[in-house]
Amino acid sequence: MKKIKMIISAGIIALSFTACNTAGSKQTNNTDSAQTGQVTMPANNTNPAEGIVTGYLNLKNSLADDNGSAAAKNGKEILDALSKFDASRLTPDQKKVFLGLVGDIKENSEHISENGDKIAHQREHFEMLSKDMYDLLKATGTSKEMYLDSCPMYDNGKGTWLSEMKEIKNPYLGKKMDTCGAVKETIK
Amino acid sequence: MHIFKKILVVLLIIFIVIQFIQPDRNKSVQVVPADVTKDVSVPENVQIILQAACYDCHSNNTNYPWYNYVQPVGWILANHIKHGKRDLNFSDFGSYPIRKQQSKLKAIADQIKDGEMPLYSYTIIHKKARLSKEQKVLITDWAQKAQDSLDKINP
Repeated sequence: MKKIKMIISAGIIALSFTACNTAGSKQTNNTDSAQTGQVTMPANNTNPAEGIVTGYLNLKNSLADDNGSAAAKNGKEILDALSKFDASRLTPDQKKVFLGLVGDIKENSEHISENGDKIAHQREHFEMLSKDMYDLLKATGTSKEMYLDSCPMYDNGKGTWLSEMKEIKNPYLGKKMDTCGAVKETIK
Repeated sequence: MHIFKKILVVLLIIFIVIQFIQPDRNKSVQVVPADVTKDVSVPENVQIILQAACYDCHSNNTNYPWYNYVQPVGWILANHIKHGKRDLNFSDFGSYPIRKQQSKLKAIADQIKDGEMPLYSYTIIHKKARLSKEQKVLITDWAQKAQDSLDKINP
């Protein structure tokens, strides 16, 4: 009887481990891009990075509204735009910059899309993503004026972000301090 | 034989058979040119902590525990290491584009500060990987300094 018990427990342990393993390795690839609202990409975009930037700006606005689950969807929006991105439209110099950024943009967007319930964590990755976006915009240029904003009250003044409007809407502090910050640079 | 017994015997056989399927080991003897020390300076006291608390999953060299030889535990560890290295690999850090290096250094500091890393499931077994307050400060300060040094090249 004892023997049988041992065999049973060994079997159960083996089974539970393998079950764990397969569940852990499952990829999250549920594509629900249909429910992304907010700004949509114009059909005749002149800037090859337009879709990525649009996703980023939506993300910035969601974070300013303290809306983590919307921010998660925007993260997904950036990932979708990234997968559709046509690198052949870039000049060799732009391509070099893009290739140096694409991995980081992807990882930061993944973290943002997977942490809809942790807005502080999303903001940490948003800070890094903002730097990626700045580099990307500098390389590809922008069809409309963009602003680089910074906030002295977040991460020792290192928290910067890009905005489509001159008016400050702080994505790091959200509604409680939404006008904190200043325009540092105008990107044309 | 009772059907229940038959199932048990089959399970036992499976358990024995899977012991022979050992995953590839994450061990590299060669000195890697893309090690983290290539682009940022890592003082010895920081290096020691990184090796004890991070390198098992975030480098090309894992210090394996004995139970790694028991399957399917070894498979789970291999999977952990694979994901860990994909997110951050100190042995390959020097090959990352500079923006990614900056992001990773910031993420290291953030994760340590937030207590997300090292993973609880890891420190519960690996006492050496439990970080004291002072060690955490050491790591976050280092990550910050390293970030600042990269910011000078690439603001």
